[in-house]
Amino acid sequence: MLVTDERIDKDSQMPEEWRPLAGAELLERLRVTGRPRPALDPTMFRRLHDRLNEALESSMPPGLGSTPVVITKDKLTQVLTCEAHHVASQFGERRPSQAMACGALIDSLFRQLVVTGRIEDPMADGLAALTLDDHQRALVEWINQLRAPQRSELAVEVERQAAGLVARWPALSPEWLPRTQEPIKASLAGGRILLSARIDLAVGRPAVDHASVGIVELKSGKRRAEHRADLHFYALIEALRSPAPPFMVATYYSRTGELDVEPVSEDLLVAAARRTVAGAEALLRLATGGEAHRTPNPLCGWCDALPTCGPGQERTGTSIPQDGSRARELSDEVELSGDDGLSGEVELSGEVGLSGADELSGDDGEGQ
Amino acid sequence: MTAGPHPASSAFVSPSVNAFTAQLLAPAHICIDDGVRQSVRDHLLSAVPSLVDELPAGDQVVITLPVLRQTLLGPDGSLRVDEPFTWKPAFVRRSLGLAAIESCLQHRHGTPAEAVGAVADEAVATWVRTGWRTFHWEPWYGGLSVGARSVVLAEAATWATALWSGVDWNQFASLPTVGGPDDQWICTAARTVRLKGRSELRVGIAAPHCCRTGGHGGGGSEDNGPGPSMALLSVSGGAPSEDWRTELGFLALVASLRSPSRPVPARVAGLWPDTGAQRMIEVDAGILGAAADRVIAAVSELAAARRDSAA
Repeated sequence: MLVTDERIDKDSQMPEEWRPLAGAELLERLRVTGRPRPALDPTMFRRLHDRLNEALESSMPPGLGSTPVVITKDKLTQVLTCEAHHVASQFGERRPSQAMACGALIDSLFRQLVVTGRIEDPMADGLAALTLDDHQRALVEWINQLRAPQRSELAVEVERQAAGLVARWPALSPEWLPRTQEPIKASLAGGRILLSARIDLAVGRPAVDHASVGIVELKSGKRRAEHRADLHFYALIEALRSPAPPFMVATYYSRTGELDVEPVSEDLLVAAARRTVAGAEALLRLATGGEAHRTPNPLCGWCDALPTCGPGQERTGTSIPQDGSRARELSDEVELSGDDGLSGEVELSGEVGLSGADELSGDDGEGQ
Repeated sequence: MTAGPHPASSAFVSPSVNAFTAQLLAPAHICIDDGVRQSVRDHLLSAVPSLVDELPAGDQVVITLPVLRQTLLGPDGSLRVDEPFTWKPAFVRRSLGLAAIESCLQHRHGTPAEAVGAVADEAVATWVRTGWRTFHWEPWYGGLSVGARSVVLAEAATWATALWSGVDWNQFASLPTVGGPDDQWICTAARTVRLKGRSELRVGIAAPHCCRTGGHGGGGSEDNGPGPSMALLSVSGGAPSEDWRTELGFLALVASLRSPSRPVPARVAGLWPDTGAQRMIEVDAGILGAAADRVIAAVSELAAARRDSAA
């Protein structure tokens, strides 16, 4: 049985006396957002659907193939951050990293905890779960080939986070209909656009009079600004498919035990729809051969396109060889040094090295 | 009549689920006589054999709904080489999920999430004790570690919960048939052509007024219930394709060809939980004919692809 480790992560900005929510308190925080749950209003959702459809239809470029353009949270974030970064990210597989491995293992363990109520041997359980997932084959091989010190480092972090989950997450009543890794999709513009996501945990029955579904996303890394936008995207898809919004969306940070809960409102959904349309316009333009705009941003140092990107090199203040090896070196440096070694600029962007963890583990199947 | 399932009060069922279930269980609208069934059968028997007679001896063509969808993608779709079979959570979720739903309908468990673990353990225990495999995956599942088992259970629970929430079970007068063997029909030809249809629910419904021989309520099991007509419900992933009518019609076609003594399904409903889509068709001669044409096209495409790859 795991021993609870109450240590708050060294990078957390939380005051020392702060303690993460646990048990009934955690459940209560998920259940009660402080705002009334939105009433079911079919006309509002029809309006939202129609406006979104209209905006997407008008953005549809000529020459688009018959295969639907799949829009995931990662694609949205990438393309809205920098189109060139998005294009560069489409080629080649992401290289596994400690953070990615930790994220994938913790996602599996969280699922196990929700379904079975227990975690016995985090590394063994997590690896066994990942082994069944064809999409994680490369990551599992990478973990199995780690040298003892690196594997031990990974195991320590996985066990620490798993212990936190076991200690803080109470059993969810089956009456809440907990669903893990639930695929949700919304087909728009006559089937030519598919909004797609995979939710770590959804609870609640479909709405009758009021919104009654809650969505929880698990993150093994640090807080990043785009996590909220991701959740808003989930809320939008759920609202379109049900058609009723979730009453809340939440991110649970297994590294620290922090829980961000946000009530869902019409304003939130409208803003998410606007962001989705903006991202879709860019993705559609790129899908038909449009030029990718370059937007320098704090992630430039980790972008595969940096060797050929003038604005990115200017932003990072460095000249990078054209073969891209510097980008890979930088990525390794960050991984080895951990978050403590990151500059202030990178801190602003959130931990880049950790971003892959959730991307690979959580959304691998989104577009399928 | 057996006691109906009452898993949750209808007051807690969303309006769209309520309406969808009512539509599924409503009396059939259209009478389909055996002449229609025979005519579609003759159509298939006249067209299919010549399409496959050049295939190697012993070769067989199996048309399922996924194959039908694949052939719509053209040669690239139909030529996809199948990987050697190995068990995966995705291959278990339907059978385990349906067994969990049945267990809930029999009041053994409250929800699918509660049921999946017990149902799986029970299946493995039965296999260990008797050697009997109800689901075929028992030895594989039984050999998995705790972590791997949890993925299988989670997949099944999530899949089953979508179906559990997608239907208002209170409207069923008696238990529907949950899962069960696939409908199958083998076309008599030099090379075997097998049609396989898979529905998640089969339920007896009242026949149309025009061809009723006796009064009865709707919503019974296809075998035990009083309804001479039948409705099917199919669950699919993703979003409905443009061809969803023909796809649902294919299920009606195979079910009607399976046995002349069983009723031609009067209605087929489709649920696509990922997108929350619900669709329904009333089966008529046109639907069955279109589905048969689609089958013929699919067999033709598959046979041509095999001939090309052999050449």
